[in-house]
Amino acid sequence: MNYPVWDIPFLGAGLVVAIIAVIHMLIAHLAIGGGAFLFIAEVWSDRQSNGDAIRAWLRKYATWFLVYTTVLGAVTGVGIWFSIQLASPEGTSLLIHQFVFAWAIEWVMFLGELTVLYLYFYGWQKNSRRMQIFLAGAYFVIAWGSLFVINGILTFMLTPGAWSLESTSIWAGFFNPGYFPSLLIRTLIMFMMGGLFGIIVATRINGDDGFRNRVIRFSARWVLPAAVIIPFLLIWYWSTLPQATVDLFREGSTGVFGGRLEALNRYFWLAMISGFFIVLGALVIAIRPKAATTAGAIALFLIAQFGFMGAEFFREMARKPYVIYNVLYSNSLWKHDSEDPALMGEPFLSRARWRPEVEPMSMEHGEWIFRLQCVSCHTWDAYRSLGQRTEEWTPEFGSRWLETMHESGVMPPFQGTAEDRAALSNWIVSQHGEVVVEPEITGTVEGGGR
Amino acid sequence: MKYEIPAEAEERLPAPDTRSGLLSRWFLQRFPVWRTYEHLEGKVVPKHRHSVWYNMGGLALFFFIVQVITGVLLMVYYRPAEPWMSVQRIVMEVPFGAVIRSIHHWSANLMTLALFIHLFSTFFMKAYREPREFTWLSGALLFAVTLVFGFSGYLLPWDDLAFFATRVGIAEVEKAPLLGMWLADLARGGPEVTVDTIGRFYTLHVMVLPVTILTIIGLHLFFIQVQGVSEPDFFAALPPEQKKYEKFFSEFMFGEIPIWLCMGALLVAISAVWPRGLSPEADPFGSAPAGIKPEWYFLSQFQLLKLFPGKIEAVGMFLWTMIPIGILTVPFLDRSIPADDRGRLVTKIGIVALLGLLLFTVWGGLS
Repeated sequence: MNYPVWDIPFLGAGLVVAIIAVIHMLIAHLAIGGGAFLFIAEVWSDRQSNGDAIRAWLRKYATWFLVYTTVLGAVTGVGIWFSIQLASPEGTSLLIHQFVFAWAIEWVMFLGELTVLYLYFYGWQKNSRRMQIFLAGAYFVIAWGSLFVINGILTFMLTPGAWSLESTSIWAGFFNPGYFPSLLIRTLIMFMMGGLFGIIVATRINGDDGFRNRVIRFSARWVLPAAVIIPFLLIWYWSTLPQATVDLFREGSTGVFGGRLEALNRYFWLAMISGFFIVLGALVIAIRPKAATTAGAIALFLIAQFGFMGAEFFREMARKPYVIYNVLYSNSLWKHDSEDPALMGEPFLSRARWRPEVEPMSMEHGEWIFRLQCVSCHTWDAYRSLGQRTEEWTPEFGSRWLETMHESGVMPPFQGTAEDRAALSNWIVSQHGEVVVEPEITGTVEGGGR
Repeated sequence: MKYEIPAEAEERLPAPDTRSGLLSRWFLQRFPVWRTYEHLEGKVVPKHRHSVWYNMGGLALFFFIVQVITGVLLMVYYRPAEPWMSVQRIVMEVPFGAVIRSIHHWSANLMTLALFIHLFSTFFMKAYREPREFTWLSGALLFAVTLVFGFSGYLLPWDDLAFFATRVGIAEVEKAPLLGMWLADLARGGPEVTVDTIGRFYTLHVMVLPVTILTIIGLHLFFIQVQGVSEPDFFAALPPEQKKYEKFFSEFMFGEIPIWLCMGALLVAISAVWPRGLSPEADPFGSAPAGIKPEWYFLSQFQLLKLFPGKIEAVGMFLWTMIPIGILTVPFLDRSIPADDRGRLVTKIGIVALLGLLLFTVWGGLS
């Protein structure tokens, strides 16, 4: 336990990261797919008789696109960095050390993206047609390059493949089993997002209904590749998931807090249903562009936000109880450490650096074990509520359950002695208003604390 | 005997030698609905800055459709003779049972919310005035039936939360003057909430109320189709060239589809994040769980009545009863088009009622 714990009441640190990340993912996908949309629309406009009108509309698209992606995208992107290092410093450290050049490339890509987009947008009047098309294309290539890099790191966390702490093979970790299906799925979703954004801007065209309908149909077509190809790619993606994740999913179709991790199942279906609804909505709009309203177009965009929520939560939950699958648990316990009986049997707080001195078997003893081993995933009374999950506990039952919780497949092993387990169980039961008698033990838990 | 196709229909139908022409003529010779078709085709919806509120009724209908589908699925496994066990089975054993139950629960809540918004938006647009009094009254009835739907469905899982909340809810009904005691006994099937109450609530929830609500929805939609969508005063006062309309079929309806889909996705999202739990089985002899409260749509009434304990409870009852009485009588009290002083006063009373409702609901939720 080398780092202090980021304790966020009600939400929990993990959910804070998730909220920021889900918003960021939508913007990031639009930022890339919108680039492809700009490039193709630029080329398309040159082949149409009313090319100037299309470009005038494209200018509006680019204005909203630039503001939305560079402001909100940048803010949430930095937000992710800020929050993950606090929520999981051990995991962030591993990712930085392992993929230091990938991160460096990613940041260069990001700077390149911003630079080219500004050149494209502010050079609208001055640049030649050829230059504008080149800049739009260059923007897309650079932006997609950033996906190429970050996708390696994201998929590594769930499917590290042949990578191990001993080999630390960058290429095996980067081009892991989930890399290519994920890259292709995300690319198609990006096109979809570019099109959905196009529909929103197109619904604001006033006066010329024929032109408005053409642009709406052009934008709606961008949803089509994702609708047709993604179902097949999902089969591929599914085949790369760890067997334990697939088993969790199968067992999760039943039970409120009853299946092993039925939330995995629920978020999966949220993503699937949202995707289906977007395709359905885009079809309606493509068939009846006259009926497309700004509210309806924004509604489709919001569905995409729900879809991202489902998909990203699924991806995060699919690797439970790890933050890096089979390597590092969500509460910063290394898998190889968990296999060392001597280490796991040591008094837990003696290994924890960021905690006060506490009396053994006191309520503070139990509370600090809760803080250091549980709050990275659970809050007491809100998100993934520990209180709700332990309503029926007795101190003895809790102690026994903690000893074997790892066998459920979704919890890390408990770190510490029987005394630690009893202290945590007593504290939990006491939080439900039960009176737990503290044994009279004097002295303090030694070592570590600051 | 075949019906004759009207001359104006002949002019507009596709050529008789095409497939669609043949099919449409075949249909019109059996069902003389050309006039109805023309009427519906000419139906328009005003387009103005408050047009978004016209979507609320359709949204409530969407959630109702979800309710019917998920409700039928839940009925397959629900057993009124062993309510809690069967719900537990739905949740723990039936594949996707927990998700379907959560969606049923949340769409009921969202339907009630959409109806609340629909009720107040039509109120503030003064859509209850002549000639739409019966559209308004049928809508008010729909709202009341929806609340009874919510109340009756809440008991069906037979967990302790449901049991004690229902007991408290029926006790409130008991206090109503004249018919209160009789109604309460009728609902409970005796002086106490027992498994006999389940039988009554179940019959009410899956048979009586669905038939009732479908009839009223049919009437409500029929009135809207016949009388058209109302225009608020500011829109009606515009010169004809400044008024914009869109066709109900199919621009307005198609435009609603993405919004329905978005609400569908929201519904699944809420159900994914907050699945409906199941408390321990009801124990009529056990103590009530701490802080027991009714569902959010009864909270304002609950909180208001708490302010009038004991002997002055009747005062609270009287104050609350003013709301349904006001809803039922407003089309006959406020009739002037455009609104006169009385109409403006009614709007102000509506604003106070809405703020009061929100205040008491939040207060009830927090206290």
